[in-house]
Amino acid sequence: MLIQSRLFKKLDYTLLASVAMIILLGLIFIYSATKPTELLPVAGSVAKNADPFSDVKRQMLWVFVGFSVMFTVFYLYYEDLMKHVRFLYVINLIMLVAVIKFGISDLGAQRWIEIGGFNFQPSEFSKLILIICFAAFLSSRKKKLDRLRDLLPSFAFFGVPILLILKQPDLGTALVLLAIMFGMLFVSGANPRLLIIIIVTVLVMLSVWIGAHLWLEANRGVTLWMPLKDYQLNRLIIFLDPWQDPTDAGYNVIQSQIAIGQGGFWGRGLFQGSQTHGDFLPIQETDFIFSVVGEELGFIGALTLLTLYFVVIYRCILITINAKDDFGTLITAGIVSMLTFHVLVNVGMTCGIMPVTGIPLPMFSYGGSSMITNLAALGLLLNINMRRQKILF
Amino acid sequence: MEKKLVERRMRVFLYVVIFIFLVLVSRLVYMQLLQNDRFSTLARENRMRLVTIIAPRGEVYDRNGVKIVGNQPVYTVSLDTVSLASSGQEDTGEVVRRLAAILDMDPQEIQQKVDQQERFYEPVKLATRVPLEIVTRIEEQRMELPGVVIDIEPLREYPNGSLLAQVMGYVRQISPEQLEKNKDKGYKSGDLFGQSGLENTYEQYLRGQDGGRQVEVNTGGMPVRDLGVKEPVPGNNLVLTIDQKVQKAAEDALARASQEALKQGYNEARAGAAVALDVRTGAVLAMASYPGYDPVKLSGYLSQNDYNEIFNSPWKPILNRALLSYVPGSTFKMIVAMAGLEANVITPQDTISDPGYFFLGTRFNDWKPGGHGIVNMVRAIKVSCDTYFYQLGLKVGIDKITRMAEEFGLGGKTGIELPGEDAGVVAGYDAKYQLREDFLSSAAQKKVKEIEQRYNDLLAKAIGDEQRKQLLSKRSDELLAVDWELAWHEYDTIISAIGQGDNRYSMLQLANYVATIANGGTLYKPFLVQRVVDPNGKVIKENNPVVVNYAKVSPKTLAIVREGMREVTLPSDGTAYGFFAGFPPVAAKTGTAEVKDHDNHALIVGFAPYDNPEIAVAVIVEFAGHGGTMAGPVAESMLAAYFGLPDPGIKSISSPE
Repeated sequence: MLIQSRLFKKLDYTLLASVAMIILLGLIFIYSATKPTELLPVAGSVAKNADPFSDVKRQMLWVFVGFSVMFTVFYLYYEDLMKHVRFLYVINLIMLVAVIKFGISDLGAQRWIEIGGFNFQPSEFSKLILIICFAAFLSSRKKKLDRLRDLLPSFAFFGVPILLILKQPDLGTALVLLAIMFGMLFVSGANPRLLIIIIVTVLVMLSVWIGAHLWLEANRGVTLWMPLKDYQLNRLIIFLDPWQDPTDAGYNVIQSQIAIGQGGFWGRGLFQGSQTHGDFLPIQETDFIFSVVGEELGFIGALTLLTLYFVVIYRCILITINAKDDFGTLITAGIVSMLTFHVLVNVGMTCGIMPVTGIPLPMFSYGGSSMITNLAALGLLLNINMRRQKILF
Repeated sequence: MEKKLVERRMRVFLYVVIFIFLVLVSRLVYMQLLQNDRFSTLARENRMRLVTIIAPRGEVYDRNGVKIVGNQPVYTVSLDTVSLASSGQEDTGEVVRRLAAILDMDPQEIQQKVDQQERFYEPVKLATRVPLEIVTRIEEQRMELPGVVIDIEPLREYPNGSLLAQVMGYVRQISPEQLEKNKDKGYKSGDLFGQSGLENTYEQYLRGQDGGRQVEVNTGGMPVRDLGVKEPVPGNNLVLTIDQKVQKAAEDALARASQEALKQGYNEARAGAAVALDVRTGAVLAMASYPGYDPVKLSGYLSQNDYNEIFNSPWKPILNRALLSYVPGSTFKMIVAMAGLEANVITPQDTISDPGYFFLGTRFNDWKPGGHGIVNMVRAIKVSCDTYFYQLGLKVGIDKITRMAEEFGLGGKTGIELPGEDAGVVAGYDAKYQLREDFLSSAAQKKVKEIEQRYNDLLAKAIGDEQRKQLLSKRSDELLAVDWELAWHEYDTIISAIGQGDNRYSMLQLANYVATIANGGTLYKPFLVQRVVDPNGKVIKENNPVVVNYAKVSPKTLAIVREGMREVTLPSDGTAYGFFAGFPPVAAKTGTAEVKDHDNHALIVGFAPYDNPEIAVAVIVEFAGHGGTMAGPVAESMLAAYFGLPDPGIKSISSPE
């Protein structure tokens, strides 16, 4: 008990409070997004009597599970994780293979495994598992990371799971893993110039590849080989000009922008968004939930939510700096990279400056796997923060 | 790792995060603060739909308040293509197929209607008069049928079935030509428009003002909120002069007469017409045309089958036969009688002896072999003596007969408020000339034209009647040289005097002529609509009797003719004796009109009561033989209905003429 009370004194309450507010707001907006719209009766029609709270209740269950996991993780000695990283890495690979073999398909991808009536998304857990494993990997090797050759083992470390995830296909999560890898490499002292060169080179090559593919298809009738199906590619680049296909590929992007744009400064009022409640917004409780916030609470609401995320990320950065060992530093660096990338790509996608890759807004979007992963990560953060220095008890 | 390195790197990391958040916030500023108007407009276009509320057309009642035409709310199914396209449904063809299966339509037909839609942003109406069970099925599958819209709109209903169908006409979507003509009256494509009958004549009164409903819709085009409603204004109601009981009696009796005639071997007796007028005003009490059709088939979706049945069957139920002209036969004889009396070429007491024929170059037979013996005018009408009228016709001359016919409105449109009325033809020189001219060879036509031209100029310069007469007879001689049939001959007068030859009149005209005889010589314009009443009950138009002509006939002459007609229904040998037993005294005249290569038309005209006339009728049963036998029962049923007597039904009275 003594230890516990000391531990609680060192909890990062600012971080916890911000996260709690994000989760609470998330529940409200999941309700708004999933509340069935009542149709005006055409003589004789009967409104459906669905429970408007069913999704919120489910999400609350996930929040509860998430907090349980968080506190469990919080009580562990995170240093002990070092001993199990090999096991974790293998478990992760098995899960990813299992998804491909036995997974459930939805929305054109096979990302879920059913366990006990619930669908889990292993690629979500992958992120945190790989952060822990990679942190152990980097901190144990303690080698210089100045040349391309030095980075190759790291690439191999991430390459295998990334390929498995691309197979689902889940481009968004694959990109998140890349962001995590580069973030952790950067913090662990890799040559920043080298990292930038690699990133820029890859981006340029991809652009040229896609550009050539499209140009050839349009002008010569032939195509270059692509790891993506046509519709995936379309979805990826449509944000550049959604109006060229407003009813199909560009539809999501346009409707999301209309929702946010018509929100104005104050928003149209909670539960009053016509884009949301007219169901014009696609998958509005998950990937496009930020558009609901933008529509219903306007610029003020969106700014508040972004500020909360900024506070969370800022606190994470402080924890990273103060972590007592390399392992802790690298774990928090991975988590902060993950959070930042998620917020950037998700919010950027809803307002049309990022491609549509389908990654959720952390701790806000509807979805259990994502919530549990993020809260587990939060548990780790608090754990690392609590044990930050060899302070005298 | 060194603490300092981590700190340095994380500071850089923080800068990157700040940069990212600044980018996101500026994007929000741009979208929500600077471009707010644009996105708000887009959102409005997304969710606002103006749904037209179709105003009910005015209703139609008979003179006693019996509803003839009403409205019935029916379900319509439309496809909102904009909503369908933006619903995110990958395969819009699947929606069309599914809908087609529910509506029992061909998917191609739906596609066609969608393609034909001029204003692509408006829902395309696919089906009207959709049964509730199908509506329910669509409702159940609403989520799988984005863009499918169910509305309610008023359509024509007919509580009395096919009653008065041809007179009322029908309503359908406005045609492009009608739209072009009526654009300034606020019509738009897809609106309903009266296509024929009173629906057409009174279109501007019957049509209501459509209302509108601004609704917010969801992505499937289904309304989720009412934003404002402009109530529709119903059209004005018509109160007709028609008496539903007389109308029904006429229609039923025509059908019975046709069946009876078919039974007796008159194989073409499949059509007929009947008209009843109020002799004191010209108000139409009944106007029936057989065969009829079910007018409900013409409101809403019209199947090819129904279309063919109504428009293309050989008996053309769509025609209002009361307005078509037929050979009048002996019903015309009163005109000749009156012309004779007014010209003082004969007195009522003058008699002839009828041997059964009249000879003038050839033999003109009476309908009764052996003849009628000694007949005066009243008796000639009673027994319909042809020989009497052959001789009288010759004595009077065709010009006076023609003029008398015109005094009673024959050969000219009555001006009733219905489209498509026949003017008919009064036999005479001009009519014959015009009718024959068309059949001449082109060379002969040229010659005739030249002669016409020449004499027209000469006639214009002619001074005095004498000179004119000379010119006319000279012209006649010249035309005769071109073709014998271009000139008028005595035998033309003879056959015209018994209502054959070129004479052609509609039942409406015959009824009106008899009404004029009955009421003492006042020719009214027949009318069908008593008044137009707005939805609040305010009368906005009242039709009063209109006198077209006071026939230049002495009361004495009219009395003689009426007496002759009265005799027709009396024993022992009146041609319509046997009908009208127990009725107020009825006066009538039968007609058996000869038609080349066909059975005779059966006709009867009449009025009642004899001493104080109220109602006049005219009936024809096409190709049904003797007028008294076949048309008599129809007139009898109509008068029975008018006087509130039990319907006598079919009688097997064999009338000779």
